[in-house]
Amino acid sequence: MNQHDKFSAGRHQEQAGEAQAARAGVREFQTAEELLRHDAAQTAVPPEIVRRLSQSIAQSAPARRPWWRKLLG
Amino acid sequence: MNQACAESQSPEAAGTQLLPAELGALYSAHSRAIYYLALRFLGDPQKAEDATHDVFLKALRHLDQFRGQAAARTWLYRIAINHCKNMRQAWHERHVLPGSDSDFCERAAGGDSPLRVLETKELGARIQQALDGLGAEYRLLLLLVSDQELSYEQVGALTGQSADAVRGKLFRARKAFAALFAKTE
Repeated sequence: MNQHDKFSAGRHQEQAGEAQAARAGVREFQTAEELLRHDAAQTAVPPEIVRRLSQSIAQSAPARRPWWRKLLG
Repeated sequence: MNQACAESQSPEAAGTQLLPAELGALYSAHSRAIYYLALRFLGDPQKAEDATHDVFLKALRHLDQFRGQAAARTWLYRIAINHCKNMRQAWHERHVLPGSDSDFCERAAGGDSPLRVLETKELGARIQQALDGLGAEYRLLLLLVSDQELSYEQVGALTGQSADAVRGKLFRARKAFAALFAKTE
């Protein structure tokens, strides 16, 4: 199965599952991957990660070259 | 950035203006996938946060190795998988001794029926419980295959096996997951 087949088959299954779920008041997933995709879509990335990354990058930036080294070459 | 732009950006893009431009773009596009993999593979939000931070920091340090060699998502997943496996080895596997995936699959029954769930806050906990019951190989396989940006060939390349092997193991992994998920009700 190529990538396109995988996506269209998965999408078709998802749509069928979603229609059934709406009727029954519960969500139904045909496969574990569908359930995991749903879970991933509900999962927010903590905003703290960007702040921590920014701090880590600032701390690991190389020290600036002293002025006297620039003069000496 | 004007207010309209700030309001329309994805949650993952928020704050990325603090990062170097190349990293900011990678983070906006892929942080959700990387964080989710780390969260469900490690089973701990704090460790997933640490892992996601470390993965993107490593990515920044090795950007020169990445350019033009692979899809960004695949490259980031490779860093994330290695990192998360090292983290798990360091703490988790000393305390948890699950049976092998194939052993569990032999015992799993009724794993072919659809997974029915009510929308509740506990859904994430149930999914985590089911994933924790799987061995690391099946857990990783399911998490990677659930990403629609990856083909079976790419999942195979990330896990060191052929696409056919991925398909075969995926069948057993789905069955084992469904049986474990049913037990969480």
